[in-house]
Amino acid sequence: MAHGGIDQLIGILTEQKGSIVEKWIQKIHETYPPETANFFRKERNKFANPVGSTIQEAAGPIVEELLEPRDSEVFYKHLDSLIRVRAVQDFTAYAALSIFFALKGAIRDIIGKQVRREGLEWALLEFESRVDRMALLAFDIFMQCREKVWEIKRDDLLKRPFVLSGGMCASYMVRRGQKHLKKAKGSNNPSLN
Amino acid sequence: MKDLTPQEMLRIDLHPPKTPWMDIPVKIKPGVYCYPAKPEKLEIVGMPNPHKWSPLDDDWGLPEDWKEIVLQGMRERLDKHRSFKIFMDICVRCGACADKCHFFLGSGDPKNMPVVRAELIRSVYRGEFTRAGKILGRLAGGRKLTEDVLKEIWYYMFQCTECRRCSLFCPYGIDTAEVTIIGRELINLLGLNINWIQEPVANCYETGNHLGLLPHTFKQNVEFMCMDIEEFVGIKIDPPFNRKGAEILFVTPSGDVFADPGIYTLMGYLLLFEHLGLDYTWSTYACEGGNFGFFTSLEMAQRLNAKIYHEAKRLGVKWILGGECGHMWRVVHQYMATFNGPADFLEEPVSPITGTKFENAKATKMVHISEFTADLIKHNKLKLDKSRNDHLKVTFHDSCNPSRGMGLFEEPRYIIKNVCNNFYEMPENTIREQTFCCGSGAGLNAGENMEIRLRGGLPRANAVKYVHERFGVNMLACICAIDRAVLSASMSYWVPEVKVTGVSELVGNALIMEGENERSVDLRGEPIPGRGEEVSEDV
Repeated sequence: MAHGGIDQLIGILTEQKGSIVEKWIQKIHETYPPETANFFRKERNKFANPVGSTIQEAAGPIVEELLEPRDSEVFYKHLDSLIRVRAVQDFTAYAALSIFFALKGAIRDIIGKQVRREGLEWALLEFESRVDRMALLAFDIFMQCREKVWEIKRDDLLKRPFVLSGGMCASYMVRRGQKHLKKAKGSNNPSLN
Repeated sequence: MKDLTPQEMLRIDLHPPKTPWMDIPVKIKPGVYCYPAKPEKLEIVGMPNPHKWSPLDDDWGLPEDWKEIVLQGMRERLDKHRSFKIFMDICVRCGACADKCHFFLGSGDPKNMPVVRAELIRSVYRGEFTRAGKILGRLAGGRKLTEDVLKEIWYYMFQCTECRRCSLFCPYGIDTAEVTIIGRELINLLGLNINWIQEPVANCYETGNHLGLLPHTFKQNVEFMCMDIEEFVGIKIDPPFNRKGAEILFVTPSGDVFADPGIYTLMGYLLLFEHLGLDYTWSTYACEGGNFGFFTSLEMAQRLNAKIYHEAKRLGVKWILGGECGHMWRVVHQYMATFNGPADFLEEPVSPITGTKFENAKATKMVHISEFTADLIKHNKLKLDKSRNDHLKVTFHDSCNPSRGMGLFEEPRYIIKNVCNNFYEMPENTIREQTFCCGSGAGLNAGENMEIRLRGGLPRANAVKYVHERFGVNMLACICAIDRAVLSASMSYWVPEVKVTGVSELVGNALIMEGENERSVDLRGEPIPGRGEEVSEDV
């Protein structure tokens, strides 16, 4: 049987976008304990439920962007907001990023039968490659977040009491040191350039 | 997960189990727990069972009779603190508090729901102290105290910042922070404190401040700030130390003396006092307003707090002015007068500039710098150029203790509006008495537990992000030294475009000082946009 085209699949996905996003959100919620998932789903106030609202606000635009790439910055921003939260929560790296692969499951749950009926399996594989590329991008963002955590830890360490030496304020020394460096660079000191 | 084989990896179920909380064993994880207290730091203040141990070991080196020690400690506290007994008995587990904790909201861990966190101890109370719990066990919500239970309690007592947001929503008025306070006291009977709390406690006991700065170093650090003021503002300040006969003793957290950006807040204080020609003194002995003893035991809080009145008496001042700090004000406002008072050798505080009587400070004789400054502004006693802060779009974070602990809501806002032209509130359910904790209070501002700090900081950061995106807010003001340090970390992860400042730093930048220079840079030495000069590179 001849396989259908990606355009036809995108049409179906676009039609079912609402259900797919909803299913995906449900799958993301299910990575948390049941009481928590319940709360993330129910509480609608953005400020009373920062994690739930982050998921809610990011999922739709991410799927839209996968269907019809328009604004890579918006896409990146929403990916970042989802990953930034999970990168510091109680997840291993694979569990944190599993949610992007869960989107494939959500799509199959919603339009799987129709895909088989209309011979769109190949098109679905093609679309899933987009999801895979998003997951790869997610690895980058995850690593950036983790590196940021370590950077903050390092900065915190620098401010600790045992850094005090010679009876001088540590942050004062750091600040003075930076000034020295800036000044030396400004004067074209060859050893620093 | 490094112990899993590839076959096991393929069988991983990503869904958490649906078992009741009592059946989910605690897993102590790096990034969440703080390092244990060094034995010598416990010895300095005579705390029991100093020993070396690690939270990741099976054997925590507990004394043989550890269980009896804890149960006896609980028994004594149930007798001594009526509130603790009531909080153990009356919770109906309605869940009103469940989703109000920043740690639960940020982590999604159900054991961070205040009701469950308190239930960790309450279940032991039922299982070991009540008849129903002893007979019916789990049916009555009770369980026995075992090593695993103790470890679970330890883990979660250090995932509560005692911010008291949950207590606002409890229909019975249960204050989960008080349960945490008692929980930590019980932990301390076994020598299981964390070092981030214990070392400051020992330092404070020995030298008067958390950092262990000796008097000459403390003085030197303040003088460094004066050098910066001379460079950035163009005036020379010679602050008084340990001056007998001064009218006012000024006490602030030592974080203002060493930590960025607290040091700029300190420069704000120095400018304000110079502007007024205030008759005051710093003390190199009462050189710490903060009190990590409060995160150890109420007795330790009392011991470390005592120096403030002692020093006020020694110097013969009339009253005490306190800087921007969080838990210092909880201790001062709610405990100091009974801990170490009555301070009948002091006078009821009266502002020497405006004549305002601070009747609210009649008992403690200690006035908050925001009350003092707001009163000065109200009486037109400060020369201010608020346009110097025009490049800032400011929002205000109510620190838990001054807001929920002492009702200080309006004064800081009044000050900010008088020294800045651009002020924006965060959403209503994240400010004033409903404020979200910074995520690192109550002695949890260590570095090794950064993941839990960032989780706990998310609800606050989420509201900051909103005002940043909506109004372009780029500065988060607060009146707490721990906030200044930890919100900087939290912002750099969640909303890196937003910096953190103390309210007094904003005041210092706006103050028109006699003999000042063109004020082209702010107190951080950074150029003020539209005021001409680049930052001076001279060192």
